[in-house]
Amino acid sequence: MSFTLEIALAVFVVLTAVSAALLRDVLGAIVVFAAFSLGMSIIWVILQAPDVALTEAAVGAGVMGVLFLLTIAKTARPSYDKVVESVNFKAVAVVGVLLLLLLSTVPALPEVGSPDSPAVQERVDGELTPYGYYVQMTPEDTGVQNAVAAVLVFYRGFDTFGEAVVVFSALVGVLVVLGREVER
Amino acid sequence: MSAEEEHEGGSPYTESPVIITTVRAVSPFILTYGIFITLHGANSPGGGFQGGVVMASVAVLFGFAFGIGPTREWIDGRVLLGIVAAGIFVFAGIGLLAPLLNGNVLQLDVMPIAVKWSIEIIEVAIGAIVAGVVAGLFFVLSQGTADNGGDGA
Repeated sequence: MSFTLEIALAVFVVLTAVSAALLRDVLGAIVVFAAFSLGMSIIWVILQAPDVALTEAAVGAGVMGVLFLLTIAKTARPSYDKVVESVNFKAVAVVGVLLLLLLSTVPALPEVGSPDSPAVQERVDGELTPYGYYVQMTPEDTGVQNAVAAVLVFYRGFDTFGEAVVVFSALVGVLVVLGREVER
Repeated sequence: MSAEEEHEGGSPYTESPVIITTVRAVSPFILTYGIFITLHGANSPGGGFQGGVVMASVAVLFGFAFGIGPTREWIDGRVLLGIVAAGIFVFAGIGLLAPLLNGNVLQLDVMPIAVKWSIEIIEVAIGAIVAGVVAGLFFVLSQGTADNGGDGA
């Protein structure tokens, strides 16, 4: 994957994220936010996280935008004199310092996809790491190939059940708040 | 479904032959892809969460093409709720079956069927939950509250 593409995507994502925060017009912010999610999903593919990329593309770039649009369709859309929010420069300075601090740790990270990265060592001192266990034992324990699915449903099924119930509760919550428990 | 009737919910609907034709052409493929992601999540990227959202996006596309009101009448809300509830019950049922077979809750390798098939069943259940919830949120948010706006369902 070419370095130019990565740089272009990173710039695109940062620009869309900043403009989503700065735009006064909510409709514009929603559209820019969907574009941000689309850029992020391509970055996930480059970082070799296709499961996350699929979720980001379907939920972030697709459904979230639609749900936001439906919600603001219920509200009045005021016209603004200014295109962007006024910026609080003290806050920008604080965020900038924090950003520099965080970025200063980036050179210490291993290269993307590097086999020497501590996170992908299958054995340390001859002992299986959790990563090594999931990668090596998934086919034997479960008979499936996608270790992500195995972790999600087999090794950490209880968490996933919680997630499913949270999604269910979201619908129930919206139905109750909007007073539409029963469709007639 | 005239254009005037569609203004309930505050979202103006324009009947466009371009959108209708496009949605007619692509929706079978999107639905198939959603089912594929759900069923094939065990061996390739994807799974119930992603597949469910892709399946639900077909309902969103129908809403764009034919108007949200007619789509909501076509896909009965009770059916959606039933799909979601069935998904939860299947997931919980499998989880609670394991203690009866001397395992822990959601311990899949004590099941009489291969772990692979338990995972597939749970993925399908998750897909049903997510698809039903996303489509349901889409329809419910388009309707708005029961006491102001909307058709007072």
